[in-house]
Amino acid sequence: MKHTLGIFLFTILVTAFYGYVGQLVPQMETYPPRETEVGEDLTTSEMVDVGREIYEGKGTCVSCHTIGSTEAGRFPDLAGIGASSASKIEGLSDVEYLAESLFEPDTYIVDGFNPGMLPVDKPPISLNQQEVLAVIAYLQSLGGQPTVTMQTELGYAAENQESAATDVASTDKVGGAELGGEALLVAQGCSACHSLTEPVRLVGPSLFDVGKRLTRGEIYEALMVPDATIAESYPPGLMGASMSATGFYEKITLRQLEAMVDHLASLDGSK
Amino acid sequence: MKLDRRHGFLVVLVACLLIPVLVQAQPADEVAYRAFPVIGSRVAIWMVAQLHLLFAAFVLAVPMFVLIIEYIGYRTGEKRYDQLAYEFTKLLSVAFSLTAALGAMLTFMLVVLYPKFTNYLVSIFSWTFFPYALLFIAEAVFLYTYYYGWGKFSPRVHLALGVGLNLVGTAILFIADAWVTFMTSPGGITESGELENMWEAINNFTWMPINIHRLIANVSFGGSIAAAYGAYRFLNTKIEEERAHYDWMGYVGNFIAICAFLPLPFAGYWLANEIYGYSQNLGMTLMGGAFSWLFIIQAVLIGMLFLSANYYLWIGMERIKGAERFRGAIKYLLISITICVLVWAIPHSMVASIEEARKMGGAHHPWLSVLGVMSAKNTAVNILILTTYISFLLYRRGNKEPTVSWAKAGNLVQFLIFAATVAFVVFLGIYGYFVEAKVRIGLSIPQVLSVVFAMISVTVIDLMMFRKARQRAIRWGKMPVRAQYTLFFTAISFTWLMGLMGYARSGLRQHWHVYGVMRDTSVDAYTPTLGYASWVVSIIVLIFFVFIAFVFWLAGLSGSKVSK
Repeated sequence: MKHTLGIFLFTILVTAFYGYVGQLVPQMETYPPRETEVGEDLTTSEMVDVGREIYEGKGTCVSCHTIGSTEAGRFPDLAGIGASSASKIEGLSDVEYLAESLFEPDTYIVDGFNPGMLPVDKPPISLNQQEVLAVIAYLQSLGGQPTVTMQTELGYAAENQESAATDVASTDKVGGAELGGEALLVAQGCSACHSLTEPVRLVGPSLFDVGKRLTRGEIYEALMVPDATIAESYPPGLMGASMSATGFYEKITLRQLEAMVDHLASLDGSK
Repeated sequence: MKLDRRHGFLVVLVACLLIPVLVQAQPADEVAYRAFPVIGSRVAIWMVAQLHLLFAAFVLAVPMFVLIIEYIGYRTGEKRYDQLAYEFTKLLSVAFSLTAALGAMLTFMLVVLYPKFTNYLVSIFSWTFFPYALLFIAEAVFLYTYYYGWGKFSPRVHLALGVGLNLVGTAILFIADAWVTFMTSPGGITESGELENMWEAINNFTWMPINIHRLIANVSFGGSIAAAYGAYRFLNTKIEEERAHYDWMGYVGNFIAICAFLPLPFAGYWLANEIYGYSQNLGMTLMGGAFSWLFIIQAVLIGMLFLSANYYLWIGMERIKGAERFRGAIKYLLISITICVLVWAIPHSMVASIEEARKMGGAHHPWLSVLGVMSAKNTAVNILILTTYISFLLYRRGNKEPTVSWAKAGNLVQFLIFAATVAFVVFLGIYGYFVEAKVRIGLSIPQVLSVVFAMISVTVIDLMMFRKARQRAIRWGKMPVRAQYTLFFTAISFTWLMGLMGYARSGLRQHWHVYGVMRDTSVDAYTPTLGYASWVVSIIVLIFFVFIAFVFWLAGLSGSKVSK
């Protein structure tokens, strides 16, 4: 009996230990990719911003490609691709080369890499023609001058059809309830550039302890007028442009904004 | 008990036969999801599916090593092997009933909670359900005839029943794997998801790697649970003879678990390779994206498993007269294991405070992050496997003195094989930092092959060298209590690892029921945090051990084969 009880307690202890180990790694909920609105009337420079958002989100390009990394990755680093793409294949312009790489990625494989990239117009990525154009504009901007427009003919027909499924993340409701501040920050894509749970620098500064550093008013200002005060060593204009491109300022309601500010103010660096 | 078994069996049989009928009876505008109260549909399915898988793994694995043990007993004429095989089989009958009951529950819950998804899977695999149900009947017939017919048939007939049981069990596993792997790497369908070729749907990218991975993992897991049963009985008896018997049972279970565990990382590598082969995106999500931190938790688990397995062997040397001469080597083995586990568990980017991150110049530590990549981890795991193999080798030699004239030369050759293998593995690991991705990925294959070569060649030399060795007796039963708790630790860790990797395999699809074909549009379409998943896995493991305690208790009630 003594040992039976001992084994019982030991089992709970070991199980709890492993459960605790699971709490020590970064905690991140992953939502289905948001649909990005790509209007027919976007200018080329607006397409760059939208393209970047797709590149980092729905396109899942960041899973395999890096930009400006010195480490050898699984797929080619894309720094300078805007400048080099025109000379990759004789007879293909930069737009044609990028379009071929996106629609038929196995046609030309960069030396030293394996084939394996999925055509972006097919599931699970399923970009439409407009989204592909925006991505090309963004890729052109990496070291080159974007020239593509929403009217550019690529010579490929995007095959994806509207999914029968509803994109859960594109709605403001998950689980039938209005999203809370934390879920809104994730749903609005803030966590793509800011770490909310760890003191780790991503594209923007970590918001891990923002409640300790900024007042509620300053947080509100940082959201609504991002360039009013720029954290040291971060480029001005980037956050405002990103948020404008996603339609944040048009879509956000006062209640949602309050929920986001409340949550950010509560982040004091303790997990 | 007979009533319970019959019930479980009938329920699962009815479920298998009725699914196509039930699902096809749904109206065209059927609901896609129904909510499970309190915990939600995802967690409900998750828990029942994982519990079913754990029991199924146990029920399919135990007959494999039982058959081998029974065969050894038949060939050598040693009764103790037959007794041991029977003791393991006692655990099966109750576990089979629980597997069937949980399988039926899972089936009904899928039909009720995820009708649209279930309907789609049935539309693809409808014809596999009938052979599955028939095989299930055959499994029940073989299992109960094998168990109740122990000692009542001629040994050859009984062994043949064991072979039949294993063949049927493996076929059941392979069919169920087709359904599961199709969800991750669908094949044989059109772009709109309609069935084109059923064989291609079955033989999809990850089917065979999962089949092999599960077969090996099941044996490892089954061995560890059987060892825990030995430990449980050891701790709860005061009879010397029984203690000796259950000490030996625990040792054999642990031996089986570790033997199967050693090739498991290689099978896992093949599986990951096939996932990359099917979809680079899926591969990157698994190893470099949302799930990459899961592998740090996995590294902790596997590190613990290697440590506990080695620790049990080192304690076991205390009951072997003559093994004390190897005690000095243990500290070096421990150092090697510790370093390898640490390298395996080092993440590429660090969780750090703002100050620490500033000092490091980012999330990557200037030199620790160098150890966070696959080149270092592949090297570490290969050396970890070699070190554990050396522990086995020393344990095996504990009570033996070679009598062959070439023993010294044999030892030297073995040492040189080990040294050359380690040097080769480390060289390839370092070389991997200086070559492009395409070459680097391929380097793990010669690393693995060199370790396999070392283990096989050293084993062959060892078997020849100790063929007519002088042997001292092993004092079975002279094991401390902590050794038995170590066996439980191994069993719990294996179970937790199975739960974690079950989550990885399923969660990897993220917001897809069938990757790239059928999206998850339920309220649970998001992927939860690893912390949340860890607590769910912990709860599943605790529930499993409550059930297993019931199985142990019932098996104990039926009496021991050892005369008192």
